[in-house]
Amino acid sequence: MAAASPKPVDAVIVGFGWAGSILAMELTEAGLNVVALERGQNRDTYPDFAYPKVIDELTYAVRGKLFQNLSRETVTIRHAPGDRAVPYRQFGAFNPGDGVGGAGAHWSGVHFRITPDELRLRSHYEERYGKGFIPEGMTVQDHGVTYDELEPFFDKAEKVFGTSGKANNINGKIVGGGNHFEGPRSGEYPLPPLKNVYSAELFAKASTNLGYHPYPLPAANASGPYTNPYGAQMGPCNFCGYCGGFGCYMYSKASPNVNILPALRLKPNFELRANSHVLKVNLDGSGKRATGVTYVDAQGREIEQQADLVILSAFQFHNVRLMLLSGIGKPYDVASGEGTVGKNFAYQNMGTVKAFFGPDVHTNPFIGTGGGGQAIDDFNADNFDHGPLGFVGGSPCWVNQSGVKPIAGLALPEGTPKWGTTWKKAAKDYYAHTLSADSHGSNMSYRDCFLDLDPTYRDIHGQPLLRMTFDWKENDIKMTRYVVGKLTEILKSMSPKQVSVSVKKFGDHFDVRNYQTTHLVGGAIMGADPKTSAVNKFLQSWDVPNVFVIGSSAFPQGTGYNPTGMMAALAYFSAHAIRTDYLKNPGPLVPI
Amino acid sequence: MSRAPSPKKARTALLAAGLLSASPALAQTSPADDIQRGAYLARAGDCVACHTTPGGKDMAGGLPFALPFGTIYSTNITPDAKTGIGTYRFEDFDRAMRKGVAADGRHLYPAMPYPSFAKLTEADMRALYAYFLKGVAPVDQPNRKNGVIWPLSMRWPLAIWDAGFAGKPFEADRTKDADWNRGAYLVEGLGHCGACHTPRGIGDQEKALDDRGALFLAGGPVVDGWIAPSLRGEAGTGLAGWNQQEIARLLKTGRTDHAAVFGSMTDVVRHSTQYLSDGDLQAIAKYLKSLPPTEDAPLARPVVADRTAAALRAGDLGRPGAAAYVDSCAACHRTDGMGYVGVFPRLAGNPAVLQKDPTALISVVLKGSTLPATAAAPSSFTMPPFGDRLSDQDAADIVNLIRNSWGNQAPPITDRDVKSVRGHMG
Amino acid sequence: MGAVPAALAAGMAVGGTGAAAEPPAYQPKFFTAEEWAFLRAAVDRLIPPDAEGPGAVEAGVPEFIDRQMDTPYAQGALWYMQGPFYEAPPELGYQMKFTPRDIYRLGIAAADRWVHDNKSGKRFAELDAATQDDLLSRMEGKKIEFPDVPANLFFGMLLENTKEGYFSDPIHGGNKDMGGWKMIGFPGARADFMDWVDQYGKPYPIGPVGISGARG
Repeated sequence: MAAASPKPVDAVIVGFGWAGSILAMELTEAGLNVVALERGQNRDTYPDFAYPKVIDELTYAVRGKLFQNLSRETVTIRHAPGDRAVPYRQFGAFNPGDGVGGAGAHWSGVHFRITPDELRLRSHYEERYGKGFIPEGMTVQDHGVTYDELEPFFDKAEKVFGTSGKANNINGKIVGGGNHFEGPRSGEYPLPPLKNVYSAELFAKASTNLGYHPYPLPAANASGPYTNPYGAQMGPCNFCGYCGGFGCYMYSKASPNVNILPALRLKPNFELRANSHVLKVNLDGSGKRATGVTYVDAQGREIEQQADLVILSAFQFHNVRLMLLSGIGKPYDVASGEGTVGKNFAYQNMGTVKAFFGPDVHTNPFIGTGGGGQAIDDFNADNFDHGPLGFVGGSPCWVNQSGVKPIAGLALPEGTPKWGTTWKKAAKDYYAHTLSADSHGSNMSYRDCFLDLDPTYRDIHGQPLLRMTFDWKENDIKMTRYVVGKLTEILKSMSPKQVSVSVKKFGDHFDVRNYQTTHLVGGAIMGADPKTSAVNKFLQSWDVPNVFVIGSSAFPQGTGYNPTGMMAALAYFSAHAIRTDYLKNPGPLVPI
Repeated sequence: MSRAPSPKKARTALLAAGLLSASPALAQTSPADDIQRGAYLARAGDCVACHTTPGGKDMAGGLPFALPFGTIYSTNITPDAKTGIGTYRFEDFDRAMRKGVAADGRHLYPAMPYPSFAKLTEADMRALYAYFLKGVAPVDQPNRKNGVIWPLSMRWPLAIWDAGFAGKPFEADRTKDADWNRGAYLVEGLGHCGACHTPRGIGDQEKALDDRGALFLAGGPVVDGWIAPSLRGEAGTGLAGWNQQEIARLLKTGRTDHAAVFGSMTDVVRHSTQYLSDGDLQAIAKYLKSLPPTEDAPLARPVVADRTAAALRAGDLGRPGAAAYVDSCAACHRTDGMGYVGVFPRLAGNPAVLQKDPTALISVVLKGSTLPATAAAPSSFTMPPFGDRLSDQDAADIVNLIRNSWGNQAPPITDRDVKSVRGHMG
Repeated sequence: MGAVPAALAAGMAVGGTGAAAEPPAYQPKFFTAEEWAFLRAAVDRLIPPDAEGPGAVEAGVPEFIDRQMDTPYAQGALWYMQGPFYEAPPELGYQMKFTPRDIYRLGIAAADRWVHDNKSGKRFAELDAATQDDLLSRMEGKKIEFPDVPANLFFGMLLENTKEGYFSDPIHGGNKDMGGWKMIGFPGARADFMDWVDQYGKPYPIGPVGISGARG
């Protein structure tokens, strides 16, 4: 029973990371009275991310000061249906955010779109490689939206984020200097690319020599001072190397805190309530209409906030959990394959290769920026012939030197002991002379990789935790082994003293102990058919049309690219549909 | 005792000023227009800055002012009948505004800049009156007792002060255009810029109240660890290096490509100048640009050969302050002292750096500074405080380095100067 | 508390290498005198003093770990610690109910007990360096059984915390004089490389700075 009911509002927004801040801004601009609920604390560049106190690897990256508080709520994980899931008790593979800005405050800044083919992945593969190419049990789908439809919103997100990069293809005309494989863009990036660190320079040269097509990584780390369309300003990235896991003290990494909130909080029809943990979306008697949300405030009081429109914009798996806890949509049933909420949970598929040089090659790995570097897309998406290879998916490969810090980042050649005098000598010899490159791979979705509510474990409020059922599949391991092989050749061509390769082996299970990425996707996927997707292409719930579910939870499978740029474009696309169509005529934007 | 201009003379002054008001339909305003125009004028006068406590009700007073002669508190100027000015007739309001005499006959302390407000036209005064009586929400909040030391706690000396330093109605300068006169009216009058930016005499009075005084806006005394620089045309320490657009932009947004407001000017921009029309801001800037340098000021900054940037970029940190500058300052202000356009201020040639009195610069280093979030520039960039990270000697070394690098030249300071500013910090 | 050899109670490192450049004696708040002796001896084997750089004791690692014991981390407050606790495949991560404090308390006691039982009644800190290294290697390789806490779990935490203490900002009590950073060439909290990002191939010449403003 709710203890209090504040004034009803036009829209309530659940979670104030990128998705929530974008929707809050768009709906506030449309004149709606908007309340955003963020379960974590209020955070801003000053005082929370101020120099010098934020330059503290132990407090932020290692102890995870900006990450979700697992003691209050986590997920459980198992490798297969039928296994017993156990809690993700400590941070390892992924680091969801908490607090104002969400993971958007502590992300690195790599800002991609998506390749046009991946938006219609199943159709594209079936057309090019035949109906039988996609293996049984791989449940990849089309997004139900085209690249051309999304292009203005990719563009808008880049302008809001102040993204640095170089276009290659402007309206079909090849202008050069950027990604050889990219889809057509309506214009240049708002800022030119960041400078290359030495390691990126070496990678670009080596890739070119091998016939590949290096390009500057698109980065939401500003290459110079910038003012975005909201009037919010960014400082220039100075390669301090404290991006992922940290807030940016230079105002140069795009975040909700830097790029949206300064303008948003001046608007009288917007209110942000921090320390407000949403328990569930409330539905009316019909179950077809949301009436608002119930949340717990900082004093532990249950508050019912009524709203005409409910935006779920929490982290990917929190969106899915809230839908399941609230009874929005039909939960996915692994046995029958029916139901949609929780279906197609997917991830990212990383491989890493490191080159260790002698004392004369100074890679100075502490110099870095979270989103910058040099990449190749020659083995990403369907930019290469998958026919003879027999797998679906691909990986961009890159040097993305984002500031290697010694506690978590110090890597040494294979076979080096982990302690003692030999370790120490290796640490001294190699730290400043190491180059690290990644294969940042796609991860397909599968019938038995999904999300549901855990039957055993509960959060601090007594609600069931979300359960992940997930493991690596042969297709994805084949893919990463192929691309990491190519990447290893590139690094070996730089003539280092030694190369170390970290890649999955066939039969490897999902390992939560080591960081991979926080690029979790799916579970509330978008699509054209309500039988196989939880939300329509405008991210509107098929079942409760005044609920929109914004986030990478909408991706039907994991792409090679980082998800934030795609997620932000979907958020703007959805907001545009709400502003232009939904508000005039509230109801389903896609007829069922 | 009557120093007020006769009604006839006031009218003359008003007419002479011509289009002083932003509203051309001045003669035929409706009550609602008056309230709206009064609200704008109250913004221009920044009444809220002194008459509202942080988190308190608008215009309800209670903000303390630590003055040389004791602490005084601003008063409740909401239309509450019991504790505010709800019973004021226009004549009472006018007398308080122009002469510093409250309705009950008390003399107000000159922290209230009534010598400047005496410049107001009657129409503007009536608009302000309409706003304060009808446009402000009444708040029942009794005024706080002032803690002023004897003999100034006896208010009668104020009458003598008033007799000596009273302001006069604005008179237009017919040799200048309407914009200039509008700017002069706002700066000398409601804007009361001189309250901080004009040096004060032994009676704590501003040494000049308009452009006819050579020391008008020539730089004020230290207040709360800040010092308001000269707004006249001195090279280096004044506005010689600024153009009209930059001045207007600073007042609108709190920042320019190369500079940013700090200290108490932050609140002035936040509460007042950001709301002024572009026309008024241009007029203010035009007027300020017309003020010549004080007589003893050099006409141009000397050209100094300097290799600070090259040394810092090469990692040569032998000079005192160089290492601390690279560790704590260079990220934003750069090793070449040029900052980053539009976001982080330039130190090379920055008047705030070149002031003879280093107090404000030391304060920024120790306490940091936050830009006001304005509608036109919402990002409130914050320089963090470095007082905990720097010893007095470190801070002095940094200040000396930035005052004497990249072409800058200013007198040296010592760790004692830093210690003194630190001692005054709350 | 049992009898403590005088040398241990005095806070001196016994066995292994000397700790000549040791900072003024820090008084542990969490660890008992016996535990403290173990900790000092063990971390100085994980990162021994040598020509490359300071050892862990000289770098203040024991102080760092003791101070960490007073943080939410050591109390398990950053982890999901609700039961039930099941054994699970190692890939699914930590599934025990022990907090870092528990792991140290039980792990040190078990290690010292093992030494006592297998090395003629001595304590770990009294062994010579080679024997200490041998035990640490067995713990690391799960070649030894402890009754409560798995030896490799304890070892893993000890090694992780030792490296944290060696390489974290000195405000946390370790990395004295930024010795860990200086050894590998990490500039600490400098956090501005605009002038250096494109000076390709050059070593970075400026020493480290800490959050406090101290320079190494």
